[in-house]
Amino acid sequence: MLLQLNNIFKWVQQGGQRVFLLKDLNLKVEEGEFISIMGPSGSGKSTLLNVIGMLDGFDEGEYHFLDESVHTLKEKHRSELYKQYIGFVFQAYHLIDELTVYENLEMPLLYKKINGSERKAMVADMLDRFNIVGKKDLFPTQLSGGQQQLVGVARALITKPKLILADEPTGNLNSQQGEDIMELFKELNNEGVTIIQVTHSEKNAKYGSRIIHLLDGRKIEG
Amino acid sequence: MFKHHLKLFFRNLLKYKSTFLINIIGLSTGLACVVLIALWVVDELQFDGFHQKDTQLYQVWNRFESPEGLRVLSWTPELLAETMADKLPEVQYATGQTLPEWFPKMPLTVDGQITKAPGIFADTDYFHIFSYELLQGDENQVLTGTNSIVISESLGRRLFGTLEGVVGKTIQWEAMGNQGQQQVSGVFKDIPQNSSNRFDFILPYQLWKNAVVNNGGDLAWTSNNPSTYIVLAEGTDPTLFAQKIKNFSKQQDQEVTAELVMTKYSSNYLYGNFENGQQASGRMDYVYLFSLIALFILIIACINFMNLSTANATRRLKEIGVKKALGSQRSTLIKQYFGESMMTASFSLLLALVLVLLFIPVFNSITGKVLALQFNWPTVLGMVTVVLFTGLLAGSYPAFHLSRFNPVIVLKGNLKSALGEVWVRKGLVVFQFSLSIILIIAVLLVYQQVDFVQSKNLGLNKDNVLYFTQEGKLKQNTEPFLNEIRQLNGVVNAATASQNIIGTDINMTGGLMWSGNEEQKRTRFNEMRIGHDFIETMDMRLKEGRAFSKDFATDSTAIVFNETAIDLMGLQDPIGKNVTYGNVVYTIIGVLNDFHFQSLRKKVNPMFFRLQQKTIRSEIVVRISNAEQQEALAALSEKYARFNPGYVFEYTFLDANFQAEYVAEKRVASLSKYFAGLAILISCLGLFGLATFTAERRRKEIGIRKVLGQSAAQVALMLSGEFAKLVFMAILVALPVSYLLASDWLSGFAYRIPLSIWYFIGAGIMALLVAILTVGSQAIRAATKNPVNALRDQ
Repeated sequence: MLLQLNNIFKWVQQGGQRVFLLKDLNLKVEEGEFISIMGPSGSGKSTLLNVIGMLDGFDEGEYHFLDESVHTLKEKHRSELYKQYIGFVFQAYHLIDELTVYENLEMPLLYKKINGSERKAMVADMLDRFNIVGKKDLFPTQLSGGQQQLVGVARALITKPKLILADEPTGNLNSQQGEDIMELFKELNNEGVTIIQVTHSEKNAKYGSRIIHLLDGRKIEG
Repeated sequence: MFKHHLKLFFRNLLKYKSTFLINIIGLSTGLACVVLIALWVVDELQFDGFHQKDTQLYQVWNRFESPEGLRVLSWTPELLAETMADKLPEVQYATGQTLPEWFPKMPLTVDGQITKAPGIFADTDYFHIFSYELLQGDENQVLTGTNSIVISESLGRRLFGTLEGVVGKTIQWEAMGNQGQQQVSGVFKDIPQNSSNRFDFILPYQLWKNAVVNNGGDLAWTSNNPSTYIVLAEGTDPTLFAQKIKNFSKQQDQEVTAELVMTKYSSNYLYGNFENGQQASGRMDYVYLFSLIALFILIIACINFMNLSTANATRRLKEIGVKKALGSQRSTLIKQYFGESMMTASFSLLLALVLVLLFIPVFNSITGKVLALQFNWPTVLGMVTVVLFTGLLAGSYPAFHLSRFNPVIVLKGNLKSALGEVWVRKGLVVFQFSLSIILIIAVLLVYQQVDFVQSKNLGLNKDNVLYFTQEGKLKQNTEPFLNEIRQLNGVVNAATASQNIIGTDINMTGGLMWSGNEEQKRTRFNEMRIGHDFIETMDMRLKEGRAFSKDFATDSTAIVFNETAIDLMGLQDPIGKNVTYGNVVYTIIGVLNDFHFQSLRKKVNPMFFRLQQKTIRSEIVVRISNAEQQEALAALSEKYARFNPGYVFEYTFLDANFQAEYVAEKRVASLSKYFAGLAILISCLGLFGLATFTAERRRKEIGIRKVLGQSAAQVALMLSGEFAKLVFMAILVALPVSYLLASDWLSGFAYRIPLSIWYFIGAGIMALLVAILTVGSQAIRAATKNPVNALRDQ
């Protein structure tokens, strides 16, 4: 088992009432799975992903990741944990505009305090693997959307995470670029990386091994 | 990591050049200002502090009771210093000294050549007491006997052209009708700039005592002339010692009414005023004032930096979010932001130093100092401290505030600022502008007051009057000389007087008795001896009676009072009444309308004039006509040369003395002008930054408003209006504060301008205009943007 969510509740107070973002959510993810989360706008897909990614907290329930109880961990330990095991891919790529492709890829390694020569090797590896060696000195704004997302995925992978969380990774891409990214995910999954993606597209969802449907913060299927 | 941060810093800097520029300009001008003021403050604090025995060096003062309260005067008995050294074991060294301003241009003759220089008389231990460095001569010997003279390096060069073999050469001097021949016994290094006592030569004290006796005075405990300085033996408790000597003079002579007060010599410069007989404020007030201004300017500049950094940070939110999502610790972000602010602060300091180097000559001419930027350890340490302080203060807000954000919220881009944060930011703007408004009002006020002083009818006409010392042969044939120059073209009138009427401490005296006041000798009058025609030459107006006249032989026992004196004495129909002074009965022949002979800070003091007999020393006063100034001066110079061969015709305009009374005010005026300009500049930079920030924040709102049909003009008006409100608030804060400050400052002048509401309104309008101009450009830019762009990227 990679992670397990037990009776997770998350709410916000609005006008004296609790509005539930996540309601009694249970989820168990095994290593090597490829899960797609689907649901209409506002159903809590992104919130769930952020909770899993430990970027966001929750109000009630238990969250176990590997052998750790995330809900009891201090912020610092949590960040150590996700730094080590989780990579993020965003819909809007979220590359830092002032850094080159090379520097963007290097950044997560800096936070893991990996030394210079090793860093160089890892970045070179990634550039090579994604066929973007020639673009390493370009800034994100000089790349197409598909290329930017490629860098985004490469950046997520560079720390060799067990889990990749992707929030509508193809949402800003045209269909050809989207397909390329999904093929890439499938390939990664075959190599043993666990992937959880949020998507609106039935077609993309089918890449996954399991589909979870959310509605108003509840799991209704999967 | 560091390399990454550095890259981000520089690339951001290139991307947002204007923000960086505003930051750098604001901070560097602020820092330059701080450095300049710090130089000035340090110089002030170290003034007179260079004497080796500084901690033991004290001045002894006389304290009198007078109708105006306790008065403390530097004038002490000739006998005081030597008697103290003699009778008090705690006194290691003591000296009497005449003040340099008594003989600012004493004529010295070498080989028939006359040179004028400021000099003093001082006792043998003078060089043990004050650490003026002797280049030639032995400090135990140079002032012994009555034949010696010690001269400064530069005076030596002026007199002899060289310092080689100067010792032993002969110099003739002349003062107060006394003269003598001295042999140079030593040469001292020119007195440093930060000494309040400045002179070019020292004559033995015994010569002064002789001169006093020769001029009909006596060396009594009731005769007060020189200043007295003492060095206490090590280990003496100054407080106890001050107690002990309180009645020292009284114990020597029962006639003495004055008590002795002691102050540390180096403290006199900064705490020069006495209140109720106690050493009180003085220049130290300015030191505090300017330190405060420096601090304020630095804080204003830091506030800008904070505001702009937060504004800029909204653009960088994504970077923060991504970094956090990728596992950056909060501490790493904090370090990054502090690093950036430190770097900006260091840049600014470099620029500030360039500004300081550029502006130091101007600053020196305003402050009348000779300051220079020196890179020694304390200075460097001070600068590093300032950079650290600035960097920490300026970086604190972005560092702690921005690093706190939850990455999810940041990346979604819906960051809402807390209400408190908005208030803090607005508060800072209000604070900045209040300060600017206060400074504007200060400038307006100081200028008006100085102008008022310049144009006020003084009761005498100070313009086109010049004076020079009656010396050399002029002493013997004064009357013929005066008669001849009165005939000259362009000369209106001429007279003699015991001293110059403006800019010197006019002799104060008690002991005048009038009917109804036979016993009370305490009232102190200013007193001058004048020649015939002096009252006419000065253009003073008679209220009643007449001025001195050659037609009345009895005028040698006549006396003329000013109006204030008559009021004080309570005399009705004063003309013809008698007063007694020094056992002589004088008859009042005239009353003058009050005229200002002191700074307008002071109320007109009671004063009287008597006709000049053979005087101790004397000035010749000449009024010339404005139209024929050049001719008159040329003709005067020619006559002078004929009557007084060998002497150079050196004269001073009375108006210059008058202006000198207000040097401090003028300095404050021009300094506050610069500071006000600076504060406004920095505040506007801040406002500009804030306007940019607001426009950025409200991009979406502005977009929606425009889509819904609001015109660009309305949007611009709405945005500017918001800042106008802040400036209004600043006006409300500034008005009461500046009113209090203004009335306090003006109350220091006995004669002053009325506090008009227009100063406050004017300053407010000025601040408002500047603010609207600053914000307007940003508001218009924001309002004319295409709303589609603002609404598209979500």
